[in-house]
Amino acid sequence: MRKKVLTTMLSMTLAIGAIAGCTLAASAEEEVTLKVFSNLPDRKNGQGLVEQMIIDEYMEANPNVTIEVEALDEEAYKTKFKAYAMDGMPDVVSIWGQPAFLDEVLDAGVLAELNEEDYADYKFIEGSLEGFKKDGNLYGLPRNTDVAVIYYNQKMFEDNGWSVPETYDDLLALAGTIREAGMIPMAMDGGDGWPMAVYLSDLVEKINGSTNEIFADAIANADFTADALKEACELMVESAEAGLFQDGYDSQDYGTAMNLFTNGQAAMFYMGSWEASMALNEDIPEEIRTNIRVFTMPVVENGAGSANDIAAWNGGGYAVSASSEVKEEAIKFLNYMYQPDKLSKYGWENGVGMSAQDQSEYMTGDETELQKQIVEIVNNATSVSGTPINDCGPSAFKASIESAIQSMTNGTSTVDEFLSVIAEACK
Amino acid sequence: MKKLYSNKLVITSLILPGILVFIFAILAPICLSVYYGFTDYSGMGKAEWIGMENYQKLMHDSTFWKSLWHSLLLAVGFICIQHPLAMIVAAILDKLQGKAEGFFRCVYFIPNVISVAVIAYLWKFIYNPDFGLLNNILKAFGYTGKINWFDSKIAIWSVLVVLIWHGFGWGMLIYYTGIKNIDPVLYEAAAIDGANQRQTFLKITLPQMKSVIQVNVTMAIISALKQMETVYLLTNGGPGDSTQFTANYLYQQAFKAFKYGYGNAISVVFIIICILVTVVLNTIFAERAEKGKAVR
Repeated sequence: MRKKVLTTMLSMTLAIGAIAGCTLAASAEEEVTLKVFSNLPDRKNGQGLVEQMIIDEYMEANPNVTIEVEALDEEAYKTKFKAYAMDGMPDVVSIWGQPAFLDEVLDAGVLAELNEEDYADYKFIEGSLEGFKKDGNLYGLPRNTDVAVIYYNQKMFEDNGWSVPETYDDLLALAGTIREAGMIPMAMDGGDGWPMAVYLSDLVEKINGSTNEIFADAIANADFTADALKEACELMVESAEAGLFQDGYDSQDYGTAMNLFTNGQAAMFYMGSWEASMALNEDIPEEIRTNIRVFTMPVVENGAGSANDIAAWNGGGYAVSASSEVKEEAIKFLNYMYQPDKLSKYGWENGVGMSAQDQSEYMTGDETELQKQIVEIVNNATSVSGTPINDCGPSAFKASIESAIQSMTNGTSTVDEFLSVIAEACK
Repeated sequence: MKKLYSNKLVITSLILPGILVFIFAILAPICLSVYYGFTDYSGMGKAEWIGMENYQKLMHDSTFWKSLWHSLLLAVGFICIQHPLAMIVAAILDKLQGKAEGFFRCVYFIPNVISVAVIAYLWKFIYNPDFGLLNNILKAFGYTGKINWFDSKIAIWSVLVVLIWHGFGWGMLIYYTGIKNIDPVLYEAAAIDGANQRQTFLKITLPQMKSVIQVNVTMAIISALKQMETVYLLTNGGPGDSTQFTANYLYQQAFKAFKYGYGNAISVVFIIICILVTVVLNTIFAERAEKGKAVR
């Protein structure tokens, strides 16, 4: 008898469990959870804010969709991205349309293919999708047009009677003058390595007039002996020796370098156009943020590049995971983000620099001076460099050049040693 | 009870959890590491067997040897600077007694309580040439120049100072516990015999602490070899490779350079070195213990 009662109870529990399970499964079909993995941990400023705004809007418009965001800064992001690649990727992810990042990722087949025709009306700037393609198939969409620029403090320049340098020699002379005045000429995030690699690419653009071919050849043949490369390296070493960058630049990170500039200790700051939102960042003293202006790398004497040959590329963007269980919804969300009145418009309104889509219709005339200057730089450009040197090769090359460039500029190794070390990393 | 312990099923069920943890958390990852060390695996996609190529490359990798040298330097720094100091401070703390003892014990242990990330950023700011505390102190003493503490020529020493400072509390606490366990009768007897403080420290405290010192030194050397997080956050091995440590280099190769196979080869060599060092240390200490017994 006792046994019978127990059996009945157990069967009932099982039945209730099964029914509950079915009900849950039924409701799960309606609810969709999208996981977004982002490289923008600051959700209250700049690009991160724009991304969050769109996510919130999407959830409002689609109440059955919940979007969970996991955001890490760039280096931690790339590490975890790889871990995810081995063990199931979140549905929508940040990516970089550059060989150093994308080649291995596409080889592993972790990103879903997108239909290029879907984006015919999305106003992508010509050529901006190229970095996100493999064998003619599209795997991601670009978010920004990045321009390497030199931010400067206009008021500091005017107060001290300094003028924007026309040539690279002028820049070095100006560095000496600024040093004499007891200030730091240019804040450089040398601890991370990549901004210096961008600087080197910028110099190659000015010396050679273009970079695409020279970088591609050098990496393909593991031979970096081209004159323009060597000259750019020598110029960079000369700049570091002349005290253009702050003391200890080779060990200081992004935040420290930027603080030197936003605190008024440094007169210039070398960084990408995505930092144009500095002009709207209220954490920066008003006297400084309203006086931030920009110029591009000055021309190098006897160089083939003119003032309007600029270092610019389409870097970061988004993609959808190939293994996503809600791929359809993920692509729908991706397309929603890229509707021209979303990423592009909000980015512009929040001073996040240039998008990879045509933004001209969103210009109101109320833009910050900094934004207007950057638009002018891009509009006047006669040629753009494309991907910076460190992102042109495989990851091993990227890791090598970003470390070795510190040793070269601080004099621990020579230019020739640097060039042979990075050549070795390409083999 | 005795019968229960002789039942093989009971024995198996008791040791099984431990064995399973060992197999899945230690043995299997090591075996996988050894396997991947022979491949060109990038961390994604397919792995191809390339035999000894990674190891051959490793033998000629100057950064790897440099990072190993730095780990060794750190181990020497721990043994020759951190531990003697920690022991002396522990002995002084023991003599302080009362509230002061508790207060200083806490103060010396604070660095160990603070997160590594905070420690790293704290020292980044202390060392900053433009607004750092260290250069400002020098300025107060009349030094007008700016010292770049992370200059590639001296950066390793700046990093060693941080690591030695950071680990100081642990060493001290273990020595302090060791000292507290020494029978006070020995000190009383020494006092009656007229021994001074120095003699008491050398003849009683030190010999009584032998086993504690052994444990502490072994742990220090292993932690020097394993050093990663503070270096990663403080300099990430830079400028160049001037402050590179083996564990950090391994991480960079595996996760930044996407050379997962090569990273695993480093980790295999690294495990062998760690095992060798532990065996050598154990042998040295065992020999000493034998000699000590023979003398007695």
